[in-house]
Amino acid sequence: MTYHSTTFRMTNKQKCFQIFRPQVEEFGQRYGLSQKQVFNLTLVIDELITNILSYGYTDLEEHFIEVTLGIDGDRLIIEIRDDAEPFNILEAPEPELDLPVEERVRPVGGMGVHIVKKLMNCIEYRREDGRNVLRLEKDINDECPCGC
Amino acid sequence: MPVEQMKENGVSVLNVQGSLGSDETQELEDAVLGLLENGETRLVFDFSELDYINSSGLRVLVLAYQRLKKASGTVAICGVKDYIREIFEVSGYDKIFSMYPDRGQALEEL
Repeated sequence: MTYHSTTFRMTNKQKCFQIFRPQVEEFGQRYGLSQKQVFNLTLVIDELITNILSYGYTDLEEHFIEVTLGIDGDRLIIEIRDDAEPFNILEAPEPELDLPVEERVRPVGGMGVHIVKKLMNCIEYRREDGRNVLRLEKDINDECPCGC
Repeated sequence: MPVEQMKENGVSVLNVQGSLGSDETQELEDAVLGLLENGETRLVFDFSELDYINSSGLRVLVLAYQRLKKASGTVAICGVKDYIREIFEVSGYDKIFSMYPDRGQALEEL
């Protein structure tokens, strides 16, 4: 299989959605992804970057966020690198989906991360050289590529 | 994200077009709060022209649901595109909102 990828950067001072959305759409068009796959990729990146921008920085400086989109056969890959505070979404609390909305302590809290976990098959997090590195994979045929 | 508001058969309809992400959520929230302050108790979100929504957008729907539940009101959603519908399912929100294929059916049921 040949691995194809595209990488782009943005900063926390920019309107990130307006930068990555066209990049994801162009990637989808280039590799023949469906409207749903493009929507899901956009949403996953949106939720993750919104989290970084909302909670990740304790100063007012400019910070780079790097996103790589890859396709390897039937596998779609997203990798996000940022120098925000350490945050491992695998350890983030799940929303209280079993409770009625009105009984939840956090009616909508954690939903973004929950959606990311549901839409992607394999998620790996590591902290490397002071940066968060989050890698997410999705099998186009909805089969889990790593057997998780 | 233009939001078109109208009243049909005594039900307030919000026709949300384009994208409902973090940059647009406030506009919809203001529209919803305005309707609730006016005493509206039956809301339909028409998403037939909506092509994007994220968890911020979903949060506004839950806000409307929570407020109206206390006032014995109802919230319905119609016209959600197939590729967006999965987000309602994975978030469990398809169970709290009545969802209809189109506005006509939503208005009939409310």
